[in-house]
Amino acid sequence: MATADIEVRHLTRTFGDVRAVDDVSFAVGSGLLTGFVGGNGAGKTTTMRMVMGVLAPSGGEVLWNGRPITATDRRSFGYMPEERGLYPKQPVLDQLVYLGRLRGLGASAARQSVTAHLERLGLAERARDHVEKLSLGNQQRVQIIAALMGRPTALVLDEPFSGLDPVAVDSMADLLREHTSRGVPVLFSSHQLDLVERLCERLVVLARGRVVASGTPEHLRSRSVLRHRLVLSGDAGWVRGVAGVHAVDVEGHIALLEVVEPTAERRLLEEALRRGDVHEFSPQRPSLAQIYREVTA
Amino acid sequence: MTTTQHRPPFDQPDPEGAGVTPPSGEEHELGRTERPWLIVALREIVVRLTNRAFLVSTLVTLVFIAGYGAFSVWQSGRTTTWTVAVTDGAAGRLVGQAATTAHADDAKVVIESRTVSGESAARALVEAGDAAAWLHQSPSGGWTLTSADEADNDLVVPLEAAVRTDALATNAAAAGTTIQALERGSTLTTNQFDGRQGTGGFVKGATFAFALLFFMAAMMFGQQIAASVVEEKQSRLVEILVTAIPLRALLAGKIVGNSLIALGQVLLFAGVGLVAVSFTDMAKLLPTLSTAVVWFVLFFAVGFFALACLFAVAGALASRTEDLQSTTAPMTTILMLVYVLSFGLGGTALEVASFVPVASVVSMPGRILAGDTAWWEPPVALVVMAGFSVATIVLSERIYRRSLLQTRGRVSWKQALTAPD
Repeated sequence: MATADIEVRHLTRTFGDVRAVDDVSFAVGSGLLTGFVGGNGAGKTTTMRMVMGVLAPSGGEVLWNGRPITATDRRSFGYMPEERGLYPKQPVLDQLVYLGRLRGLGASAARQSVTAHLERLGLAERARDHVEKLSLGNQQRVQIIAALMGRPTALVLDEPFSGLDPVAVDSMADLLREHTSRGVPVLFSSHQLDLVERLCERLVVLARGRVVASGTPEHLRSRSVLRHRLVLSGDAGWVRGVAGVHAVDVEGHIALLEVVEPTAERRLLEEALRRGDVHEFSPQRPSLAQIYREVTA
Repeated sequence: MTTTQHRPPFDQPDPEGAGVTPPSGEEHELGRTERPWLIVALREIVVRLTNRAFLVSTLVTLVFIAGYGAFSVWQSGRTTTWTVAVTDGAAGRLVGQAATTAHADDAKVVIESRTVSGESAARALVEAGDAAAWLHQSPSGGWTLTSADEADNDLVVPLEAAVRTDALATNAAAAGTTIQALERGSTLTTNQFDGRQGTGGFVKGATFAFALLFFMAAMMFGQQIAASVVEEKQSRLVEILVTAIPLRALLAGKIVGNSLIALGQVLLFAGVGLVAVSFTDMAKLLPTLSTAVVWFVLFFAVGFFALACLFAVAGALASRTEDLQSTTAPMTTILMLVYVLSFGLGGTALEVASFVPVASVVSMPGRILAGDTAWWEPPVALVVMAGFSVATIVLSERIYRRSLLQTRGRVSWKQALTAPD
């Protein structure tokens, strides 16, 4: 059953001989905050630009509610491009109202929405200032309002958190959740993995133009090699020699281990107990950074 | 296929639909307004009208035009008085005759004589600038007019006539006849079909004014259009704009907005210029001039659309403001050519130019002013111009679309024309 979601199918884009995006498929579900993760040049921005129709795909398609997306559909999307830009010499309020009207808001509705957002992001007093007079962080907030004002049907945000202080990050996260709570699909890219881990219900990991992992954070964790922490009474150096176990890090009597063979855990614990006491043997919840390193390696 | 929308229980309908947490519904606020080009055009107009540099330059030009009119009025209302130094009664009588002729011809010219004691006194008077010249008898017979510099024609011509008439009368009497008898059948009466003969200078001047007005407006507004396009491209704002409205609407809005402002400015200048002319000696030429001005405005309006499109393309080809100088070079060259050629052309070349798009904006109104156009010529030239503009707009839209989103470096005209969509 199709819902208000964005689906990307076999999207490909080449620039000359370079395949920037290579057969990328994923979905951004209705009401879900989907994080788009990948290193520099992984193809995130190119994919987002194709979703927004700024760039034509070399192959594949973008679906909205299960049918090919149109320019009219995109008109009601909120979009924040990777490179920021506003009219430097126009007052904040005027240009946001202008952008709102271009996206189909009535003049008074645009003004109301812009004013509400400016207050919310602490920019109400700067409404009449020229954009060039604002600090970079405040310019970033104006850019956020340009994407979120009105009632966008979907949000595509390229690095929306970059350049924001922690307080602004929190307000931004709240704003995004308000939009997902009314069923809006949100796709955002970020380099800040801890943030993505904290916010996202879904993840798409891109490397060298391909999707290397996607799903819920739990799903990704379950696919990851489980690590264990082992704390002994004596030196733990001997764990390096145990077959079926990969010692990630050994320091004094503490070791971080990856159990590669299922039966190796038993061998490891028997050997440990033979050598002395075992204070701790616990599975470690893998961080997103760890998963990311694994899948993009 | 049905569409389901998530509607959380706490989500209350927002009557304004503009709050930060608006509800979800079958309809959304965004994406409904028609005619986005109009919104773009209005912004262009507002931005231009609130631009201080634009306002100041418009005001300065208006003051210049009005000042020229005021100067002409002052100049034509001024009485010129010539003083001629004389040393005897015969010279004084001649000056008197010349004064009568000159005054009858132009009420604002006064010639008077001043009798001095002798040659040295007369020379001193001329040298001091208190007299324009000294009229005295030549040793060889006849009269001599001595002045510091070349004497003004307004003075020389009536004096020459007076001297000739006087000498003729004396000679005729000596021959036993009269001056009337001698002159019988020697007069030529001039008869003019219309008032244009002898206004060649005026036509040249007005054509120059058309050329200047066109050149200034095209350069100024053209550069502004290009700058406003590259501003959006350079700041990447264009990425947001193209996801909101069709590129064609963006281009159309820019062209319409800027063309309206340009046309408004030209109308203002032309109107003030016509009023200024009405105060001068050339007021009798106003009907002809007005017709030419109306045609000029028509040609300008149609031609400016084409130029505006080309300048928008030049803006799209650049990726930074610094690139504009090279991407606008073709248009600048064409405009310079039109400007320069509008003075040099004549005869068949001028007739041809008056049908060539862009050049016709200046040369056709010039020909209308000179009165050598058949009734069908201006409309045909205008249709040719309109056809050129339509072709330019279609072509420009394509190049604009292809190059606007290429933000890495300058795109050449050739690349833009041959690139795929």
